[in-house]
Amino acid sequence: MKTKPLAIIKNGIFDENPIFKLMLGLCPMLAVTTAAFNGIGMGLAAMFVLVGSNVVIALLRNFIPAKIRIPAFIVIIASFVTMVQLLLKAFIPALDEALGLFIPLIVVNCIILGRAEAYASKNPVGASLLDGIGMGLGFMIALFIVASIREILGNGTFFDITLFGPDFQPMLLMIGSPGGFITLGLVLALINHITKKRQQRRQAKGAR
Amino acid sequence: MEGFTGILLILLSSILVNNFVLSKFLGICPFLGVSKKVETALGMGFAVTFVMALASVISWIVHHLILVPLGIEYMQTIAFILVIAALVQLVEMALQKLVPSLYSALGVYLPLITTNCAVLGVAIINITEEFNLLQTLVNGIGAAVGFTIAIVLFAGIRERLEHADIPQAMKGFPVALISAGLMALAFYGFQGLV
Amino acid sequence: MNIGEILLPVAALGGLGLVLGLGLAVASKLLAVKVDPNIAKVNELLPGANCGGCGYPGCSGFAKALCEGDCEVGQCSVLSEENLQAIGELLGVEATIGERRVARVLCRGDEENCATRFEYYGLNDCRAAAMLAGGPASCRFACVGLLTCASVCPFDAICLNEHGIATVDESRCTACGKCVEACPKDAIHIMDEGSRVYINCRNTDKGKDVMQACKAGCIGCGLCAKKCPEGAITMENNLPVYDYEKCTNCGVCAVVCPKGSIALKEPITQTAVIYEDPCIGCGICKKACPTGAIKGEIKELHVVNPKKCAACGICVEKCPKDAIELCDR
Repeated sequence: MKTKPLAIIKNGIFDENPIFKLMLGLCPMLAVTTAAFNGIGMGLAAMFVLVGSNVVIALLRNFIPAKIRIPAFIVIIASFVTMVQLLLKAFIPALDEALGLFIPLIVVNCIILGRAEAYASKNPVGASLLDGIGMGLGFMIALFIVASIREILGNGTFFDITLFGPDFQPMLLMIGSPGGFITLGLVLALINHITKKRQQRRQAKGAR
Repeated sequence: MEGFTGILLILLSSILVNNFVLSKFLGICPFLGVSKKVETALGMGFAVTFVMALASVISWIVHHLILVPLGIEYMQTIAFILVIAALVQLVEMALQKLVPSLYSALGVYLPLITTNCAVLGVAIINITEEFNLLQTLVNGIGAAVGFTIAIVLFAGIRERLEHADIPQAMKGFPVALISAGLMALAFYGFQGLV
Repeated sequence: MNIGEILLPVAALGGLGLVLGLGLAVASKLLAVKVDPNIAKVNELLPGANCGGCGYPGCSGFAKALCEGDCEVGQCSVLSEENLQAIGELLGVEATIGERRVARVLCRGDEENCATRFEYYGLNDCRAAAMLAGGPASCRFACVGLLTCASVCPFDAICLNEHGIATVDESRCTACGKCVEACPKDAIHIMDEGSRVYINCRNTDKGKDVMQACKAGCIGCGLCAKKCPEGAITMENNLPVYDYEKCTNCGVCAVVCPKGSIALKEPITQTAVIYEDPCIGCGICKKACPTGAIKGEIKELHVVNPKKCAACGICVEKCPKDAIELCDR
């Protein structure tokens, strides 16, 4: 069954968005989305690791014995994460400062291990590569949405550009931990609502 | 006495002030996933405490006795995750053989702990904060106790939420996340304690 | 680029990995637990609903107990016939399904029969409502109707009937007992599916107190116990208790009950008919009839009132002239 490459990428962004539909990878989502820049940065770092590990695991999928596949996957993913760590430290130290602890924690990001287990170990390299890109994009877009809301309301800035006048009182709550939980909860509720409405419309069309 | 107060402060800090789940955002996946009933939450909490204490100590030893002398601290991530994965396997096997009753209660959660960011997180934090061995152990235990408290409280709330009248779009995770946010807000009250 | 710089971490971590791997291999030998391979095979054949109806913690617990010979295969009421036989073959034991049991909600206190004392606004849970002065119904034993039982049922077998009382779909029920535990009024009981009659009330009060609470409640008059041809009913706490070993499902109790509190699962489809010719009007049938359905004067033709006849067959036996027969209505 040939799946169109665009379909695989779209799947990762919409139908199986790792954050909004699969509910994976929430730790970095809540911790890192205090500024839109951080969100995009984390999304790109995770996408790099995801694509890299998906490709390598897809290449090696017929050679890794089933019993030790989880430790093998973890070692491969950890290698890519170490690469990202060192690259960021050297070339984008500002991002490294901002993301801090959560860069090495990409290793235990459930999205990456989950996709390795569910997709890359069973599909050829090309499809795994596209799936990695799709999921990475989905993750990044989700991070971007939540980070933007939190930054605009909590800091009055967007990508460090001040938006409102000096009289604007930022909602400091948004930057802190409660803000993370509540913003994600409300965004999820909105997405559930939209999904439901589309389902209903599709059913109504089908009935006709 | 300085040593003892220092330990107490670390405990208070990791359990209440910088609660691993509600302040540091570590361990969110199991926090949301395993908190539908208080019993399962308690089981998960115990399993995590066990693993986190051991993992903190062993990864500290690996860092100071292998990585530092050889000058390869940048391999920290890979080394720690190897240690944690092996430790969880070992703990699972040991429990199955030595304390089968505990195994049948907690066994299901042990594989989940490998990818629990809280375990790797606490190991890395112990190194960045430059704790000694005792402080590392205390921090590991404190972090896990904080995690357990948060997850059990949250499970209690979610059990009640099952019976409440919630709008359709908010059912499930959205309302759970907002409750967690309110819990985090409550824990803000501990700021300034240490 | 110093080749040593690349080899060192590879060697160090490779060494670490090797040590850990060896350690685990050794540990897996030392800490090996002998697991009966049959357990996994049996577990595959079990339905996997983990309802607990067998009395063991989940299907894996039941599989383990089966392999240890601690229980019967038939204890699982959810098993399909072929899986039952397959497990029996695998373990080399007799596998027979026991008498099918179902849960039944024992209450007739719906909107018609039982008045509501107050409007309840609170947690949508029977247990919560029951804590508020015993619940919104005037009978404190009545089904609350908020369907907590339905929410715990793993088989979706419970729903509200058109009168507002919870009712069990017996084709889906597996008698796992979760609803029995969940009901705060102890209104759900498990009985053999074949039991055609049962008391559809849990009210232990007597007479007027019951009638004030509910029009269809059991008043504890004991008529059913008196009239039962097999003596299968005893009165305890103003409620009839059935000895289902003696009960023949004749339905007499259901017919004589003045409040209609005894449920009849299958309607009475026959009635006794007295034929004019052989009848000599001796009146033996009238005396023997437990429901008082036969009327007639001495030496005259006796007639059966079909509305009161439970088709128990006692008159047919007792008639000296064989003048009575059970016919379909």
